[in-house]
This record gives sequence, structure tokens and C-alpha cells, in this order.
Amino acid sequence: MFDSLKKKLQNIRTKFTSNIEEAAGTEPVPPVAEEPEEVQAAEPEPSRPPQPEPPVSGEEGPEEEREKPTFFNKMKVLVREREIFLREKDVEEPLLELEMVLLENDVALPVTDEIIARMRRDLVGQQRKIGSSVDDLVVATLRSALCGVLGEGLDLRDFIEGRERPVKILFTGVNGTGKTTTVAKVGHYLQKNGFSVVIGAGDTFRAGAIEQIRTHADRLGIKTIQHQAGADPSAVLFDAVQYAKAHEIDVVLADTAGRFHNRANLMNQLEKIRRVMKPDLVVYVDEAVAGNDAVIRADEFNRAVGTDAVVLTKADMDPKGGAAISVAHTVGKPILFLGTGQGYDDIMPFSPRVVVNELLGDES
Amino acid sequence: MLDNLGTSLKDAVKKLAGKTVIDRAAVDELVRDLQRALLSADVNVKLVMQLSQAIKQRALEEEPPKGMGVREHVLRIVYQELVRMMGTPGEVTLGPQTILMAGLQGSGKTTTTAKLARYFQRKGLRVGVICADTFRPGAYDQLKTLCDRISVPCFGDPNEPEALRIVREGLPRFRKLYEVIIIDTQGRHALEENLIEEIVNINEISHADHRWLVIDAALGQQASEQARRFHEAIGIDGVLVTKMDGTARGGGALSAVAETQSGIVFIGSGETIEDLERFDPDGFISRLLGMGDLRALVERAEEAVSAEDIDVNAMLKGRFTLRDMYKQLEALNKMGPLKQIMSMLPLGGMQIPDDTYDITSTKMQRYKVIMDSMTPPELDDPSVIGSSRIQRIARGAGVTPDDVRDLIKYYKIMQRALKGMRGMGGGKFNMQRMMKKFGRTQ
Repeated sequence: MFDSLKKKLQNIRTKFTSNIEEAAGTEPVPPVAEEPEEVQAAEPEPSRPPQPEPPVSGEEGPEEEREKPTFFNKMKVLVREREIFLREKDVEEPLLELEMVLLENDVALPVTDEIIARMRRDLVGQQRKIGSSVDDLVVATLRSALCGVLGEGLDLRDFIEGRERPVKILFTGVNGTGKTTTVAKVGHYLQKNGFSVVIGAGDTFRAGAIEQIRTHADRLGIKTIQHQAGADPSAVLFDAVQYAKAHEIDVVLADTAGRFHNRANLMNQLEKIRRVMKPDLVVYVDEAVAGNDAVIRADEFNRAVGTDAVVLTKADMDPKGGAAISVAHTVGKPILFLGTGQGYDDIMPFSPRVVVNELLGDES
Repeated sequence: MLDNLGTSLKDAVKKLAGKTVIDRAAVDELVRDLQRALLSADVNVKLVMQLSQAIKQRALEEEPPKGMGVREHVLRIVYQELVRMMGTPGEVTLGPQTILMAGLQGSGKTTTTAKLARYFQRKGLRVGVICADTFRPGAYDQLKTLCDRISVPCFGDPNEPEALRIVREGLPRFRKLYEVIIIDTQGRHALEENLIEEIVNINEISHADHRWLVIDAALGQQASEQARRFHEAIGIDGVLVTKMDGTARGGGALSAVAETQSGIVFIGSGETIEDLERFDPDGFISRLLGMGDLRALVERAEEAVSAEDIDVNAMLKGRFTLRDMYKQLEALNKMGPLKQIMSMLPLGGMQIPDDTYDITSTKMQRYKVIMDSMTPPELDDPSVIGSSRIQRIARGAGVTPDDVRDLIKYYKIMQRALKGMRGMGGGKFNMQRMMKKFGRTQ
């Protein structure tokens, strides 16, 4: 997961480290070699070939060192004996590069700005004994910046355990992000974890949507509550909740039609759905490949109907992971799952700590 | 956020306005703002860097032609470079052809296929659609339902697992009967090798004349990479941008175009089957940058808003009557939404409440009809409209009294917004001068 971002971040990290080391006039610490970890190892993936290129460790680092030796020699004068005193200049170039890396990886502009600002604030003016590892300083700063942005995770199983049954989960999002597929996957995930599930076919607008969710549900052996195409989605989902109550079913998964956040009428419809079915959890679904717009629409959805958790789909498309960072930062809500393929098992609970560790190497 | 970017770009452009010599710092700033605007529109980072370098170089090296101000000169360069980056709009021939649709999951291929069928049908061609999506449940139902609505035949079999077989069977049959055949395929991304192989095979046996890539307007930096691999696999010769009715700005499509050396063919901008437009570079650029249409900024404003159409001065003095609003609604047809008109005015960072613009085109139409039922005194001074007049107007226009009240409410919001604008403009005099200047230079 997030291989590409991980690789780049490691390059940057090497660069930061070498810049700081050179500022102190000592030999650069060799980049910490990362083992290519496969997050999905636990997840069976029968139908697809293995994930993309394994991470390559830093190549840009050494080049950078050769480029500007004199500059850093001069810096030596400014450095107190055996102590690194970081100045804005020292971190400027790597930060610029980090900015580019984040942008290239679809982290939205405002979010990038904030991460960079946080890094700068934390790094500039820092004093460190040479004895204490520079690497640690940089990584800790980047880690805290990313952790701050990603927030805490949420375990759906624990969430459901602590609630009165039936637990109602409403899925929202714009068109084509994969809500219906996600509903099916989450249904399967919950079934595997011993919960009984019913699905409400709340997308009554798009042609073929009811057939789609129905087929998924039939394959998984989940009951679907559906009306005709064009029916009022609130009514469908209300019925689904009633069914769950009558049959003592643990979880209601409510699919809805994709809608754009700038359509006032459709957002009002969603608001009505929320009023009628009173969901315990509103899950906003977006795709991991979305660019800057991810921030805008996540924000709009959050304001219109509220968002309690996020699912990012299509994370298997050579995942850059930026959207995760952007959306999590904007909504300030935990990411519940990542969708990682077309099979029902291709869904992965999201843990920010694991992702950050993935990106930066394990906390030691 | 969107508006802020457009504004900072506009500010940068404005700074160039008074200059007679090109100022390196001003150009630098403009380029930096341009970069930010493009990046936040999801244009590929490398592409942005190339573009901004080119613009910077040309702006500093080229002499402005005689009689052209520095601002116009730089804007022209920005515009030209953007157009160059965008490539030529993809060709659409109106004749017998086979079109193969390709794209990522959820980018809107099926909906766009139906829209395309409708487009060619309206051009008087006989269209047939083949559903080669054998994976996603409901895909055939979806396409079939959409096609039935416009009476276009749709070939497919939801129980057949082999997409190739469907194409092999359907194509010869449809070729005899129809001129345009559109093949909808399953969503796939470039890393799914067996699926890529599948589309390569479909492409081979179908001998498609066009292979169009469908790109979601919200697609981020990933667009380049995906487009490149699709291009390698089947040779993309056109890009369709979908979901342009959201707030995404479609920079990903631009990266895709650059990568495939093709052009944008159509733009999908709505959920009904008619919502497909031919690509218009000017509109696209303006959206990309989040500022008023660069070229049209000059041209369209001139022809659409003559001085009597919208009396800017009267509006700013607060004498904004229903008549002004009526003219405005009429001008909208010529110029696009009010927000755009406002964005063309050099008003800087003025904030106008968003609900002012939140008015749909059907509502616009209704408002006009209602105003047609009003008497001149009512149009000049809406405050005379009491409940009995509302009743009369409603009956005259064939709407409910609530609709009339709605209109009056909208009018009041507009009026308040404009009054607020005057207050924020840093003094009335300044504001009016700016307006006058706008009237002259545009």
C-alpha cells in the first residue's frame, strides 16, 4: 500500500538527514534500509497479480550531497560545536522537494501547505547534540506531522459491539466512487466477523444500481431490501431498518445514489434520508485516486449530512495515498477501510499508525 | 478555496496592469500563482513545471507587440501556452465508425456510452451499443435501461462471462444494421494485467476506429500514469472528461491528453442523457484556472453586456430593481452564470454569498415568466408588491404565490449582496472608478 509515496518519502528523509548532517560537518548517516513490506500479505488475493514495484531505497540522496558541498562547509561556521542549529535555509530545499512529492502524490494543496508549515515550524531552530540521531529528529517530525493529519483509526467491529442493534450505517459520496461495491465488501467483512447484515438498496436513481447491489448481495447470501427504480430512497432505507428490527439483524448497510455536493436538491434528499433512518454511522466513500477535488467534496458532504468515517476505494490503482491524507485532514474523521481490488475480500481496515510506519519505517 | 485561487491569480494579473515594462518580480509572482492554480486543478506536476518555465521565458524574452499592454501580452502568452498544452480538440466524424470505450472503474463509461449514442442518434446516424462489461453486476441492466430510453439497440448478455465472445458475436450483427457502434467495456486500471490484455484483444477483434479514454474530472496525479498505460495497450485517440458538473476542475484530463498526444473529445456534465458537450478549450481553461474565461474575458463581455444591459453603477448605488435582475437573467443566456460575470469584473477578493448564485436554470426561466406578469411600477419598485399583487402575478404567470415570494426573496438577497459589495469596495468613488475602467478596458 502506498508504495510510491513511501519510496519518495524515504528519499526525502535521506535527503533531510544528509542535509542536516552536512550542516553539522559530519559524515551523512547512511539511509536506513527498508524492507519492502507487503501490507496485504494477510489479505488473500486470488485473481490478481502481485502489487507493483517494490520500494527502492533512496537514490537521490548521494547526488544531492555532491552538489553543494561548499555551501554546507560554509554552514559549518554557523554551527555550534557538536550541536546542530537548524536554520530555515538548511531545510528550505528538502522541504520544497517534500512539497513536490506530496503534490505529486495527490495530497491537496492546502493540506500540503499545512504539512510543510508544520515541518518547518518544528525543524527550524531546533538544536540537537550530534550524539542524538538526526534521523530520529527528522523522522519524528515527519511522523508527527503525518500522524497529526491522519488522526486515529476506527475499528468497525468494536464500534458495532458497543451499540444497540441494529446498527445503521449510511454510505454517501459522489458518483462512481464505488459505494455499491463497498457496501457489498463491508457486508462480507461483517459477515465474516459474525454479524448478521441486511442491505438497503437506496440507490433508486442510477439505472441498474438495484440489480447491481442485488446481485452482490445474492452472491454473499445477504438479504436486500429494495423498491422499484425511482422510489424514495428514504422509504427504502426505512423499510430496511424495520426489517432489521423485526428479524433481529445486527447491521443495516444503506447504499445511496451518487450525488454531487453542489446539487442542493440531492443533498437535501440525503439529509432527509439521514433524518428518516437515523444512522449510527455516516460513511463517506471516495476514491484514493481523486485529486484536489477530494478535499472540496469531502468538506461539502461533511457540512451537509455529516461524516463519521471515511472509506477510500480503488487504493490498488498504484496507490499514491495522498487522497487519504487530504480527506482525513479535511474531514478530521477516521478512515475506516481501504478498498483494494474487485473481489469481496479486497477491503482492508485502515490503521493510521500502520500506514505511517509503512511510509517511514517502524517506530523504534 | 477555489475562489481564493482564482482571486490570487487575478490579483497577480492586476499587478501587471499598470506596468509599461515587464517586471521580473511580477512575472515570477504570476507564474507562481499560475502554478498553484494548475496544481490544485490536478494537472500533472511535471507538466505544470514545464508550462510555467515556458511562460516565464516567453514573458521575459518576447517583446510585446506594439499597442499591446504588458498585461495583455502576458495573458496572451499564458493563454497560448495553455492551449498548446491542451492539444487540438479530438475529431469526431459523423459517419460509420466503431468506438471502443476504455477507462478506470467508476469513471462513467456506461453513462457516457449512452450519452454518446444519443449524440450520434441526434446527428441522424443509426447507432448500436454493445455491452462488453461482463464483470460488474447490473452493468448490462444499466446500459440496457439507458439505451431503451432513447430507443437504441443494446447487445449483450448478463450471463456470458466472456467479454470477447460478446464482441465477436455482436459486432458482425450490428455492423450490418448500424452505422455507429459503441462498445462499452468493464472498468479496469492499468495494473490489472489480465484486464488490460482483455481490452487489447477486444480492440484487435473489433478493429475499432476510435479508442476513447474516459477520465473522471476529479482524477488526480494518477491520470498521467493510467493514460500512458492505456495508450501503450490500445493507442488512445481521444479523451472524454466526465463529471464536470461537480467542482473538480479536470486537470487530470489535461495530463491524460498530454500523455496520449490526443485531444479532448467530449465533456460530460450532468446525469441526464443529453448532458454531453463538445469540448471547448476556452471554457476549460477558465475552469482550470478558476478565473473568468481568459479570451472571452475580453471578447464576450463586450458583445454580451452593453452598457444598457446591466447598469453597473446603478446596481452599486443600491438602486437594483427587478428590471436589472430581468436583464441579468437575460444576459445569463449569453454569458453563463452570474458568478462568472462577477468573476470577470475586477472586483478583487470581494466575497459574495454563495447562495446568491444557487439558482438553477429552470428557476431562472420561471423567474422571467413571473416578472413578465408584473406591471412596470412593480418592476421599478418591488416594495409595492403586497399579497394581493402576489396573487395576481401568480395567476398571470401560472405559478403558485410561493414561487412569486421566492423570486422576491431572491431579489432581496441579490440586492443585499450588491449593497454589501459597495460597502466593502473601499469607498464608493473608488469602486465606481474601477467599474468605469472595467467598462473601458473590456
